[in-house]
Amino acid sequence: MELTDADLIARVLGDDDQHAFGELVRRHQSSVRGLLRQLTRTDMALADDLGQETFLRAYKNIRSFRGEARFSTWLYRIAYNCFREDARRRKELVGVDEEQLQAEHDPQTVDPGLRHDLMHALSLLPLHERTAVVLCCQNGLSHDEAARVLDIPLGTVKTNVLRGREKLKRTLAAWGPN
Amino acid sequence: MIEDETLDRQLREAAPYIDDDGFTARVMAKLPAARREPRWLRAMVLLGLTVLGSGLAYLLSGGGRFVREGMVQLANFPVWLLLVFAFGCGLVVGAFAVIFAIRKTPEARDLARLRF
Repeated sequence: MELTDADLIARVLGDDDQHAFGELVRRHQSSVRGLLRQLTRTDMALADDLGQETFLRAYKNIRSFRGEARFSTWLYRIAYNCFREDARRRKELVGVDEEQLQAEHDPQTVDPGLRHDLMHALSLLPLHERTAVVLCCQNGLSHDEAARVLDIPLGTVKTNVLRGREKLKRTLAAWGPN
Repeated sequence: MIEDETLDRQLREAAPYIDDDGFTARVMAKLPAARREPRWLRAMVLLGLTVLGSGLAYLLSGGGRFVREGMVQLANFPVWLLLVFAFGCGLVVGAFAVIFAIRKTPEARDLARLRF
């Protein structure tokens, strides 16, 4: 039987079991790195550096995880804080790297052209709208969870998701409903 | 116009699964070293320090004389007052125990949030 996140966290806390933490990293690395790639506008090297920093901070502070939210939500919050601190240090965000974007594996279910346009349109959204859309629409967080991750009011999250969605819809209107 | 559900589905499907490709290994290599001492050793150290502290307190307090005197004074109290005091202490300790248990038990927290 596969261990739950809570079981693995209990092993890390009780026995300082680093293998259990490794399993948590394996489980969540894709979604955390995916979020960071969206935030950094597909700068994969930067996103992976921030991803490593996210998991290192999670390990050091795992005792402060109280189980009130999902472990993935807690990780997103750390990842977002890492990104903000880095952005503050750099004072600027990097641009879109189209070649890196296209180098990713294309899922079978979405038209490659639509996927490209969608990801490109997403990368053009302002940071606050892009972050809200990625968390809520792409990663399935509730508005309440996203508000906790971003540390902003619930109403602001709802507004950002709504505006982001509308902009994406306008950009993708030519593709029509699927 | 594209529906919200359709857009969300397209966004989810457009998000690629990112292969681990050594990422986990790189994170693991940077983790601080795990604690060396076993849990039983920490428990024994704690127990030893507690026994040592209790022994010192016993010796420094004149062989527990104040405890004996306190018990004698307590025995002179009316029975009903002792019962009320014991009941009050039980309530306070019980309340703290329940609060602590709820805070530490996710299932109990979830139960408290249920709507019927």
